[in-house]
This record gives sequence, C-alpha cells and structure tokens, in this order.
Amino acid sequence: MEREVLIKKWLSNNLNSQEFQAFKQLEDFNELTRLNAALQDFKPQELESDIELERLNIALKTKSKKQNNWLKPFMRIAAILAICIGSYYYTTTLNTNIATEFAQKENIVLPDDSQVKLNAKSTLAFNKKSWEDARNLDLNGEAYFKVAKGSKFTVHTTAGNISVLGTEFNINNRNNLFEVICYEGSVKVEHNKTSRILKPGESFLILDNKLVERPKTDDTSPFWINNESSFKSMPYAQVIAEFERQYNVTFSVNNIDINEVFSGSFAHNNLDIALQAITIPLNLAYTKNNNKISLKRE
Amino acid sequence: MDKDLYKNICEQSRFEVFYKKHSKNLHDFLYYKFGERLSPQDKTQEAFIKLWENCKKITPGKAKSYLYTTANNLMLNEVAHQKVVLKHTKIERTNYSNESPEFLMEEDEYRKKLEKAIANLTEPQRIAFLMNRTEGKRFKEIAEILDISTKAVEKRIYGALKKLRKEIDGI
Repeated sequence: MEREVLIKKWLSNNLNSQEFQAFKQLEDFNELTRLNAALQDFKPQELESDIELERLNIALKTKSKKQNNWLKPFMRIAAILAICIGSYYYTTTLNTNIATEFAQKENIVLPDDSQVKLNAKSTLAFNKKSWEDARNLDLNGEAYFKVAKGSKFTVHTTAGNISVLGTEFNINNRNNLFEVICYEGSVKVEHNKTSRILKPGESFLILDNKLVERPKTDDTSPFWINNESSFKSMPYAQVIAEFERQYNVTFSVNNIDINEVFSGSFAHNNLDIALQAITIPLNLAYTKNNNKISLKRE
Repeated sequence: MDKDLYKNICEQSRFEVFYKKHSKNLHDFLYYKFGERLSPQDKTQEAFIKLWENCKKITPGKAKSYLYTTANNLMLNEVAHQKVVLKHTKIERTNYSNESPEFLMEEDEYRKKLEKAIANLTEPQRIAFLMNRTEGKRFKEIAEILDISTKAVEKRIYGALKKLRKEIDGI
C-alpha cells in the first residue's frame, strides 16, 4: 500500500525529499525510471505556437474575406441610402393635391405667386419640384386663375389643355360642360382637335360636346369668387348642379325640362333667397326637406 | 473555470490569449488520442477557425469545451476510429552512441515492447498517462483539460502504469 502511494506521488511530481528516498528504495525503482525515460520519446513534435498562430491568423483573414463580413454593414448602409433616396425621390415627385368639398372655396398661391381660387367640389394638383421648369396643373372642377408673368402656364383638364403666359381666366370643367373665360391677357384653349386663342372678355364654351358661341363679357372676374353664381343662357341642369355643389343639397325634379335655358344668379350665403332666385324666374315651386329639395311646376 | 468577463472572445487579442493557452494542450490531446496520422496540427487549426467563426455564439466559459468537442469531431469525421499506434519520435539517436550492440538491441526491443504496450492501453488511459509522463502535467491540470475529476485522472494514470509494467516486466 505504501508503495502505491509513493508511486502515485511520483506520478504527480509530488514527492518530497524524504519520500523520494523511500521511493528510491523500491525494488522496481530502476524499471520505473527506465520506463519513464523511454516514455519521453513518445512526445509529439512540439507545437510551435507562434508560427501556428500566424498561420491561423492568415487563415482567418482569408476566410473572413470570403465570408464577406464587410458586406453586412455595407448592405445596411446601402439599404438606408436606398430608403433615403427613394423617399426623397418619392416626396419630391409627389404632386401637391388640393381638393374642396361641398360649399367650400379655397385660395391657393402657387410657387411663382400665381393665384388660384378653387370653387366647390373641385381638385387641383401640381408639382412643387418641377414648377420652375414647367408650370403645369391638373384641374378637375372650376377654378379662377391669376397667372404671374413667366414661362408657359398650362392647365390640364379632362376636356382639354389651357395654356397662357400671364393672365386672368376662369376654367369650368364639369359634367357635359367645359367653359373657359379670359379676363386679362390672352388664353390658348385646346379642346379635342380645335384650338382657340381667347382675348379679354371672350369665352369658350362646350355644352354637351357642342361648341356654343357667346358674346363678349365686360366682367373683370367670375361672379363665384364673390360668392355668387351667375348664368347666362345656361341649361337648367347646370344651374342645379352648381347649386348642389354650393349648398350641399340634392334636387329632385318633377315635370321640369332641365334643358330649359336659364339666365340669372344666386348667392352662396342664403339658401332660401338663392332657391327663390333660381325658381321664381321659371315659375317653379320648391319644397325643402333637410338636404333634399324637390322642384315642381306651379 | 474562467469567469466570463467578456460576452465572447471575438476580440482578436482575447482570441490570441485563448489560443496560446489552449493550442498546445489541444494538439497534444489530439496526438495522444488519435496519433499522428490524422494531423493533429491541422485539426487544431481547424477547430480554432471554427471557434472564431462561431465566437459570437460561444461564451468564454464554453469556449474550451467547444474547442475540444469540435476538434474531436473533426478527427472522428475524417476516418472511422482505428487502433492508434504511437511511434518514437527520435529514431536517429542510435547514430552517435558508442554502446555495445547487445545493449542497443536490447534498447530497441524494449522500445518495441513499450510501443505495443501503449497501444494496448485504453484510450482514456493512454491520453491521461502520456499527458502526465511526457508533458509532465500534474493530475489537476489534466483533470481540467479533460473535464474530469482529479481522482479519475489518478486512477487512469496509475492503471496505465500498472498495465505497462505488467506487459513489459511481467509484474
């Protein structure tokens, strides 16, 4: 037992000098030493840590290059840039849209100080960014323009394009109606294949796809910008349509010829007076029920 | 076990310290376990490369066992396990000796016996025993490397010694 303890201590390099003497006295001391000496030859070749580390670092570098570790942050930057450029491009090319509701009018100042008055239930769109290059607008409904002098100013409507240099004019583009009135300067109107240049006071009117000639007007601006709608020889349907837009009401008509021609005007600030204004001249009677108005022949 | 001062060892300098601490032990372990044929040197490198690639997922406390497991698996993947025969590394030593031919012959015979005896040890015995005898490592160090108790190391080493003595000297 003593022997085993000694050998174990020897194995773990833990012998003190006294124990070592005892260990020397063991009968197989020589065999053990011989075995131990021979075992030293089983050492593997020394691992040269520094050279190996160098080798490892080179391997890691080439590997990490192959793995494209740098690509990840680069991709992130690229993605952010793409979003920035995309949103910048998107917002700058995005049109500015202005829309009016029933009984609402809007004053708009364009980037070049041109002024637009937008009548009820109409929309106007333009691009702020490209405004300096080309003054282009899209209009749906009715609007009055005071155009500052400058490059060509073009209004696109579903019925045609109106282009000018600097002037005042009114465009009214509704169902079955396309009307342009020039108040100052000159206006070029293109409708389908016809094109006409309007002088102050002249107007261009298409009713139900037919060109209607009209005398010159002496007005200096359309009536509606002063909160009044004025009609000269207009079909009654157009009058009712405009009335609906200004007061947000709906009409039901019985036994009335809506193509009958009407001349006159109604104000935008008093429903009853306005109703009288469009009914009395034609000998019509009206009944009012909330937002519904029915017209009858008296 | 080292305390986890850092989240991982992805830092180059930390990795190098780790490398210096473990590369030799790992290499020797692989050598004693699998012999020279499967290039323990290359497997050591590969295991460290794997460790580096996955360094973000491995805490410092786990790094050592990851390293050993990986290296071991790399070895096992290469070839089905075969009996390992460790050779003498110094063969030329007979050249300059002026010993008598009988003595040299006897020496040679003794070494062959020893080789055979070592080959007949169990794998755990061989690893622990050679780490102890040729590297001069204490039981405790070996226990740390192999993740076993000191007592188990002692048992393996003493068992190995007994077995060798029996085969060589017939005791």
